[in-house]
Amino acid sequence: MSNPFDINGGACVAMVGKDCVAIACDLRLGMQSLTISNNFPKIFNYAPSTYLGLTGLATDVNTVSDLFRYKVNMYRLREERDIAPQTLANLVSSSLYEKRFGPYFVSPVIAGINPTTGKPFICGFDSIGCIDFAKDFIVSGTASDQLFGTCEGLWEPDLAPEDLFETISQALLSAVDRDALSGWGAQVYIIEKDKVTQRLLKGRQD
Amino acid sequence: MPGFDFTNYNRNAALHAKGVPLPKATSTGTTIVGCIYDKGVVIAADTRATSGPIVADKNCEKLHYIAPKIWCAGAGTAADTEFTTALISSNVELHSLSTGRDPRVITCMTMLKQHLFRYQGHIGAYLVVAGVDPTGTGLYTVHAHGSTDKLPYVTMGSGSLAAMSVFESTWQPDLDRQGAIDICAEAIKAGIFNDLGSGSNVDVCVIEKDQPTQLLRNYMKPNDRPQKERNYRFPRGTTAYLDQRVISKEDMKKYVTIETLSGDDKITTGDSMEVDT
Amino acid sequence: MAINFKDGVILGADSRTTTGAYIANRVTDKLTQVHDTIWCCRSGSAADTQAVADIVSYHLNMYGVTNAEAPTTQVAASLFQELCYENKDALSAGIILAGWDARHGGQVFSIPLGGSLHKQPFAIGGSGSTYIYGYTDAHWREQMTEEEGIDFVRSALQEAIKWDGSSGGVIRLVVLTKAGAVRHLYLPDNGYTGPGVTN
Repeated sequence: MSNPFDINGGACVAMVGKDCVAIACDLRLGMQSLTISNNFPKIFNYAPSTYLGLTGLATDVNTVSDLFRYKVNMYRLREERDIAPQTLANLVSSSLYEKRFGPYFVSPVIAGINPTTGKPFICGFDSIGCIDFAKDFIVSGTASDQLFGTCEGLWEPDLAPEDLFETISQALLSAVDRDALSGWGAQVYIIEKDKVTQRLLKGRQD
Repeated sequence: MPGFDFTNYNRNAALHAKGVPLPKATSTGTTIVGCIYDKGVVIAADTRATSGPIVADKNCEKLHYIAPKIWCAGAGTAADTEFTTALISSNVELHSLSTGRDPRVITCMTMLKQHLFRYQGHIGAYLVVAGVDPTGTGLYTVHAHGSTDKLPYVTMGSGSLAAMSVFESTWQPDLDRQGAIDICAEAIKAGIFNDLGSGSNVDVCVIEKDQPTQLLRNYMKPNDRPQKERNYRFPRGTTAYLDQRVISKEDMKKYVTIETLSGDDKITTGDSMEVDT
Repeated sequence: MAINFKDGVILGADSRTTTGAYIANRVTDKLTQVHDTIWCCRSGSAADTQAVADIVSYHLNMYGVTNAEAPTTQVAASLFQELCYENKDALSAGIILAGWDARHGGQVFSIPLGGSLHKQPFAIGGSGSTYIYGYTDAHWREQMTEEEGIDFVRSALQEAIKWDGSSGGVIRLVVLTKAGAVRHLYLPDNGYTGPGVTN
């Protein structure tokens, strides 16, 4: 039997720009080489400017995204405020580590802008909750090796929102075109201080 | 002590029995070292985190806070070093609050070894514990199975052999502060350049009696990447998109009613917590 | 290893700890104090033996203060045996226990892998011990003087270090008598001839 991380396929990437962040994912859901759906978004919204991307085993992507919807709703009721990306990062980290000896097969990515400081924030995790704080970009999914390559080559500091959109989109599209398990369209979020732009990318359907 | 949840354990064990490989955890295939000197102790680490052959993080922090004058360098499974040190840090603080004394390095080392021994090596944390306390300077290594060693200079992680070669050839007794920093940084560099699991920068932490602890983050950057001469910036409009939705600030708050409180009543507010920084 | 002699017992050990072929610690102290004049030599898993010795040490110290009297070596041996036998599936610990108490004088006990307990005139254990069964058997004498005893232990350990790749470093000794515990150290630099007493 194959690796649970590779059964359903999928890719996700987040990048930092100047006063903005972007997060993007592909839309494929498969079972090994058979494609089941070309409309399976892997990015979930938890607050006006806090987004979570989840790749890995689709059943766990659903379970984990629902679990955090529950946990973030409870947080908002208790605290009477929206969750900041940094807070969500610690919540994700401790929730995943709780299952240290029976983990969810997911690789989460967080992108957002802190509502109080206005600073961009991204981070990634392994399946047991170790946080990877990066200042440039975070990648995850079956195309992560390719994404590391495209991002390392294309990313540069202080990109404006529109330029960041082009960079993250091209990085993702190039990467998923070299991964048989990812692709079939893509979704991009460009998160600015008081605006979020969601775009559906035209991608190969093979 | 940490309430581990074994909900998915049986599912994953069943999958594993069918030949499914275990999930790849970020491991800090690391070089970490420590060295005592006349008035204190220095610990140092590289900053590479790996996931198999992939460099997952080029500048991660492997020096963990336990108490103001006790710090830990971690190797092994990254999540385990992070959470084990955080757990012991909070227990050490509670212990010091209840006893009314400054925490001791040996107390911290004992708590770590008992915790790791209980988990029989399944928590993959390999640590160098260092600090100063009322009894003097302490420097220990703690292995994942719960064994400990006490030495004047120590190395751990995949780069420990390269680092130890520096200590065994150049260490001498009665080092001063700068001498200890230099030999630790040199040992980490030996790991960075000769061990594939270690790389990037050198982090150093200096702990000395009657002196604030210094965390010298990126003390050395022997692998700085120069700025690109040119760029691959795409002209705007390069990427075709089928649909767009703009969510403005007004839309974000669409389903939330905001009510401003009248200023008649004195509203007392507590001190603001330090969150979201 | 540990031996009985005229006035008490002597414990001795090399100082090498290995992880595979790598020497993780070349100056290890394998002689562990569990009470004033009750000490043990640890071999096998470092984590297991340290954990067991820490637990025994805790119980003996509690025994000492609650009974206002030092525990006998037999009490310590029973504690070690209980832990090693009840947890035999989880432990890999070979322990030699030696102590001096006012009632029985010097005593040496061996607790090998399965958790059995053997009172012996002298005991050897660990990977290097196989090389010195012949040597110790040929040179053993009852009621040696302290000097003869130290010489016997040191020479035997020197042989073990010479032939066994997993043993090495310095030789550490502890002499347990009515007078208390006295530590000795012998370095490879001068063929294990000194410096001798260190406290």
